[in-house]
Amino acid sequence: MFLLRDRGRWAAASLGKRLPSCRLRSDSAAPCRAHFDVVVIGGGHAGTEAAAAAARCGSRTLLLTHRVDTIGQMSCNPSFGGIGKGHLMREVDALDGLCARICDQSGIHYKVLNRRKGPAVWGLRAQIDRKLYKQNMQKEILNTPLLTVQEGAVEDLVLTEPEPGYAGKCRVSGVILGLAQTLEKLGFVVGRLKTGTPPRLAKDSINFNILNKHTPDDPSIPFSFLSETVWIKPEDQLPCYLTHTSPRVDEIVLANLHLNSHIKETTRGPRYCPSIESKVLRFPNRLHQVWLEPEGMDSDLIYPQGLSVTLPAELQEKMIACIRGLEKARMVHPGYGVQYDYLDPRQISPSLETHLVQRLFFAGQINGTTGYEEAAAQGVIAGINASLRVSRKPPFIVSRTEGYIGVLIDDLTTLGTSEPYRMFTSRVEFRLSLRPDNADIRLTFRAHKDAGCVSPQRYERASWMKSSLEEGMSALKSIEFSSSKWKKLIPQAPISINRSPPVSALDVLKYEEVDMELLASAVPEPLKKYTAYRELARRLKIEANYESVLLYQLQEIKEVQRDEAFQLPQDLDYLTIKDVSLSQEVREKLHLSRPQTIGAASRIPGVTPAAVVNLLRFVKAAQQRQAGVTEHQTN
Amino acid sequence: MWRGLSALATRAARAPRRLCARRSSGAGSWTPESTIFALSSGQGRCAIAVIRTSGPASGIALRSLTASREPPPARSACLHLLRHPRSGEPLDRALVLWFPGPRSFTGEDCVEFHVHGGPAVVSGVLQALGSVPGLRPAEPGEFTRRAFAHGKLSLTEVEGLADLIHAETEAQRRQALRQLDGELGQLCRGWAKTLTKALAHVEAYIDFGEDGSLEEGVLEQAYLFPLTVDRDVRTLEAALGSHLQDARRGQRLRSGVHVVVTGPPNAGKSSLVNLLSQKPVSIVSPEPGTTRDVLETPVDLAGFPVLLSDTAGLREGVGMAEQEGVRRARQRLEQADIILGVLDASDLASPSCCSFLDTVVAPLAAQSPTSSGQRFLLLLNKSDLLPTSPPASDTALLGTPHLLLSCLTGAGLDGLLQALKTELAAVCGDSSTGPPLLTRARHQHHLQSCLDALSHYQATTDLALAAEALRRARKHLSHLTGGGGTEEVLDLIFRDFCVGK
Repeated sequence: MFLLRDRGRWAAASLGKRLPSCRLRSDSAAPCRAHFDVVVIGGGHAGTEAAAAAARCGSRTLLLTHRVDTIGQMSCNPSFGGIGKGHLMREVDALDGLCARICDQSGIHYKVLNRRKGPAVWGLRAQIDRKLYKQNMQKEILNTPLLTVQEGAVEDLVLTEPEPGYAGKCRVSGVILGLAQTLEKLGFVVGRLKTGTPPRLAKDSINFNILNKHTPDDPSIPFSFLSETVWIKPEDQLPCYLTHTSPRVDEIVLANLHLNSHIKETTRGPRYCPSIESKVLRFPNRLHQVWLEPEGMDSDLIYPQGLSVTLPAELQEKMIACIRGLEKARMVHPGYGVQYDYLDPRQISPSLETHLVQRLFFAGQINGTTGYEEAAAQGVIAGINASLRVSRKPPFIVSRTEGYIGVLIDDLTTLGTSEPYRMFTSRVEFRLSLRPDNADIRLTFRAHKDAGCVSPQRYERASWMKSSLEEGMSALKSIEFSSSKWKKLIPQAPISINRSPPVSALDVLKYEEVDMELLASAVPEPLKKYTAYRELARRLKIEANYESVLLYQLQEIKEVQRDEAFQLPQDLDYLTIKDVSLSQEVREKLHLSRPQTIGAASRIPGVTPAAVVNLLRFVKAAQQRQAGVTEHQTN
Repeated sequence: MWRGLSALATRAARAPRRLCARRSSGAGSWTPESTIFALSSGQGRCAIAVIRTSGPASGIALRSLTASREPPPARSACLHLLRHPRSGEPLDRALVLWFPGPRSFTGEDCVEFHVHGGPAVVSGVLQALGSVPGLRPAEPGEFTRRAFAHGKLSLTEVEGLADLIHAETEAQRRQALRQLDGELGQLCRGWAKTLTKALAHVEAYIDFGEDGSLEEGVLEQAYLFPLTVDRDVRTLEAALGSHLQDARRGQRLRSGVHVVVTGPPNAGKSSLVNLLSQKPVSIVSPEPGTTRDVLETPVDLAGFPVLLSDTAGLREGVGMAEQEGVRRARQRLEQADIILGVLDASDLASPSCCSFLDTVVAPLAAQSPTSSGQRFLLLLNKSDLLPTSPPASDTALLGTPHLLLSCLTGAGLDGLLQALKTELAAVCGDSSTGPPLLTRARHQHHLQSCLDALSHYQATTDLALAAEALRRARKHLSHLTGGGGTEEVLDLIFRDFCVGK
């Protein structure tokens, strides 16, 4: 339905400093010989993050978008975060990205999912006021230093000869008209995915009184590490309501399947967020959940999550009327299906630069992902790397062992995707270490040092938190009493008195019944000061919770990192290299995915153990040659 | 080595990069990499066995076993008495070689222990190493893998590697398949399947349980959680537990049943050992206290492999050397699978005989016959010295069943062999009808680790931790069957090498 250029997907191109111009064609009276380091095409969730990140890194950046007033638009659901997605937002925030901070100025119903399942899998989530989010995002983007926003449609790339010594058949040096066709002509493999959106309902026509009301968390947990609290008090936030489909809904769907083109087509739809038609077909005779979510503080619309549908409008109205609480609901817009192009993400490297065209980066839906958070995560990384590319610095890559962002990008670039890719916690091997609470410790310092994209304020805050945590942990470890003394101090905890060696405060904090406040009331000196700041106390408790298991995991992480340290040369032509014995099939697979490391190569399905070892041998041989050369030089 | 490789990659790659960047974790710091150990020479009885360690804790292991403060000079052979670091029990006199990294086979700190090749010595040293903090048994091929990772394999060796792997993975997989084709393999695969399902349920519950936008089928699974998963895990725990109880059986079949001959001095223990082994293993003399050390000899008894130990006669208040002999005898007694208590039939009223009956025989006889403890046979030797009519009532024997025997004439030997066969069959199990045997210590290790992980699952209310426990349990099972873990291709390759190579 939509072509590439119609959606908020974007590509960034980093332009050489000495290039005389960036060729732009635009309706406004823009300077036609402007000079930018980085051009970002598209102002969706990936584009805004990329543009802001490139500017934070110090690059003169141009954001090109059809209309400035669509920047920050939430095109589908009125919410941010969720399980796995909340992790991504925390990581985007740790890289000083925008979406978490903007959400904390625009949320209207904060609720952490998985509250009872352990802090490693908490899903930070909030309903967001669409209007506020857009306003706040535009304010942020239009006030970012070094960032210029320009209305206009990018239609082509200006390509020049490739830089020698780098992979890629040409180099992008500017942009003009007909982008989608250009990309196909350049040889990018294009696929097609589909998704859908539910109808919108008039709030005043719904009978909420008979429905299950869900109130937000009190207190709200903010998305951003910089937010002490969110802009709105819990009691002022809006509720959500839960209802279910009825057998009549099944009947209407089944009777009208012939009208539904969405299901019959072969294009792959998501296995999550499926349309009501696919749910009814796959799981008949069941009641399906429908969440009624507010679209904004002063919005008259309700978003019925779970009711994504492509039936003709009058049938949608009929179907809605069969649902409890919606008997008299007025449909303001019908739901509809969307099909969109994406480019096989195996055509990009982990820095998100394309293999084919130097200095051209892809991020967002164009890479086959779904969701605002997945888009934002790629956006930050592409923006940072476009900027680093301009200044000829090494790319900034988050590994699988460092963050959900790393897993997302490694999965996409190594394995590709045949359905809209969504983040889950179960995709992440080191879930216990990569938690929402510690994203700042994991990423902020690296981002500061290697990318320079972190504000001093954030850096200081993360440093303070890191040293407070370390200090707190060693204080907890140093306090040791006999188990019977602990039992007397904290009768609430089921401490076994049989334990003979002294028990540390850290061990006591591991009990579910114990938190820092309770511990500090038993041992005020020196623990009292760690309870003054609630966030610190909460994080100490989480660290204690996972302390013993993390020792195991750190060893495994180190082993993975060892494999990742075996780099494969990027200009390797897998189809023709002679020194390596590889089957044609393996060659093609490697050629397609272009793994950066032995670790990544070993994750590609179909690449055999023997092939991996042959590749290792190749790397070793190159290393020996290199060592020989160095020896000569020193002699 | 790593830096060298990175530097190469940096130059060769399109742009220099830093992949293995430092990572700051929570409030923790890097734990040192694990240290591994394994028997590197062949399995089974041989003159010398080589046990190897690799990793940062190698030095600690060396110091703990040799009880020395300083490591020996690098790369030179030193003779040391090895002791168990906890109990202080002497294990063996061994040649010890210390290879500080990077000038070692793997590039890490390494130690080689060249010990005597008896299975008891080898398993004793391995156990001792296992008790040193930071040490764990090596995965198959892990030494090679580490050597490779530290750039210690030459190019030609690497060249051969791919072919080798190709051949070895196939051969080993077939071998593992053959070994695990029977009931044990089926059981393990069944268990692994149960765990995979349980894990899928937990994962679905975590990722989809509270997220409205998911496929209902997944949620359906998640609804069943935690009831079905908890039930499955409990069933699995019970199954693993009962198999582990049988675990020693298979190992006994492989490395021999420990049969220990004990009794008061001069009862004829050494004569019995010589008789059973049909060779002069022990010096026999009429003088009490002739045998002072533990003498071990492998014997085939009724088709069962047996390690027969002759020990010093148990008595108090004698010379230092004999005291040590008595201490070793008691220690050996604790490790025995079958105990042969020998008494002088003509001297049952002597103090040493009574003391033996009170302190050794009575507790053993009091064991319930069904318990999995040690088996015990009481032998009355020197029956040739008895009057032709057997002693009417031996109150001293407390009604303990016993066999009459004369090592001198051989009378009663058939009866003894028959009784021993029954006992041997009981401790080894019947391999054709009983439950599948765990023939290797490795099997036991992984099953035990699996069981430990499952207990962590039960103990936690944090679902992320619970899922991690299930993952860990599943990993141990898949190590056993050789399947699974396909996503870690590198692991798979190197795993298919022999342990310790």
